[in-house]
Amino acid sequence: MIDRADIFIGAVAIFVGSLIAIAVYYYRRARNSTQNDWDSLLSRLMRVDRSSIAEVALDVIDESGQQRNDQGCAILEPPEIWKLLGGMEGVEALESNSRVLIDLAFYLQQRYPEALVVAEQLRLSAREIEWQVGRLRGAAETGKLAGAFPMYGQRAAAAYYLMTQRLLDLYEQGDPPRLAALQKAL
Amino acid sequence: MHLTGLDLLFWAAGLGAHLVLLCVLLIRRRFRVFPIFTTFILANVVRTLALYLVEVYGNKASYFYTYWSLAILDTVLQLSVVYEMYSLTFRPLGIWARDLRGSFVWLVAGSIVVAIGLTWLATPHARLWMQVVVIKGSFFSSACMSELFVGMIALSVKAGLPWKTHVARISQGLGVYSIIDVLIEAGHSYFGVNRNTQMYTTLSHFRMTAYLCCVAFWIVMLSKDAKGTRKLPESLRGQLILLQGNVDLQLERVRARRQS
Repeated sequence: MIDRADIFIGAVAIFVGSLIAIAVYYYRRARNSTQNDWDSLLSRLMRVDRSSIAEVALDVIDESGQQRNDQGCAILEPPEIWKLLGGMEGVEALESNSRVLIDLAFYLQQRYPEALVVAEQLRLSAREIEWQVGRLRGAAETGKLAGAFPMYGQRAAAAYYLMTQRLLDLYEQGDPPRLAALQKAL
Repeated sequence: MHLTGLDLLFWAAGLGAHLVLLCVLLIRRRFRVFPIFTTFILANVVRTLALYLVEVYGNKASYFYTYWSLAILDTVLQLSVVYEMYSLTFRPLGIWARDLRGSFVWLVAGSIVVAIGLTWLATPHARLWMQVVVIKGSFFSSACMSELFVGMIALSVKAGLPWKTHVARISQGLGVYSIIDVLIEAGHSYFGVNRNTQMYTTLSHFRMTAYLCCVAFWIVMLSKDAKGTRKLPESLRGQLILLQGNVDLQLERVRARRQS
């Protein structure tokens, strides 16, 4: 008959097994991201229509990232935003690319650790995009996607647009030879 | 208390290994970056010496109280080392990364709840209630430590925050040791100290061996320099400062837009 001591040993075995599995999984992920080279990072970028994203983003912010308050701002209708961003799949592609962009910033940071400040801001922007996409997923599950998409989707696009601009600035200053490749990939 | 030759060997090896590690931390100036970790190692040296003196000149009761008082201090310092490693990883700009604050609360709360659940399941066979408390307390402590270190790996990778070389090495050593310690403390609980203490002693020797391996790993890793980095050109530094100002402004705008 199984007594409490046996249950304890079983629970500890599951606990330790889970800890080791989690540690190995994340350790491998960390190792892979530090061993990435430039080309493999670029190959992970998903194709997005940069001009459409810029159109959605520049509907609410200007080129410098400041919020627009003029009469021509925020004129895009929800169906247009949905179409320009490629729906939910398009926003998820932005989320995926934001992770790659962090790795690109990390790549530069490895060469110039003093670029940490900008890399950290890029990372925070990517996390913001993840958060926005998370809200969209929640809205999709409750059947409120159509109402939530213009708000969260446009914010994710604006954050993505600013982040890519920042990254391009960073590479323009730190690694000009690779700027062209990045511009093409983005 | 009767000490075998093997017990004395572990005692001496532990003291020697900690002294060597302390020298590495002082000579290589690592104590500036890791003041709490250095204190933890120093406390281990003091603890070993204090227990030796009490063993030779004191009585059974004084040894008992000294041992457990210092064991509590050791646990507090281990948790402080965890804090130091978290601080060095998750405060890249001197403040806690704001996207991770909620995750910290969940991680700490989850770790404590799981550790309490497992500790509740433990039913160590012991003659004295104090022995039960000691075995359960040690298990709880090791379970929490292992969860916090694995959580640290997961959070840092998920958030995209890299580990500095020596932080990674200290954390790997303590993390692996904590997981081994969970198994050993679970063994202590399962076999208990009711009639025969041989299994308890054998497991304790395994734990000490694992810890000595961990200290040896730290000695080797902390005596090496971290990977060399390239100096940021002055022109690029100025541009980055300007860019950072713009980035802060842009983020504020986006957040204002979100709230409007």
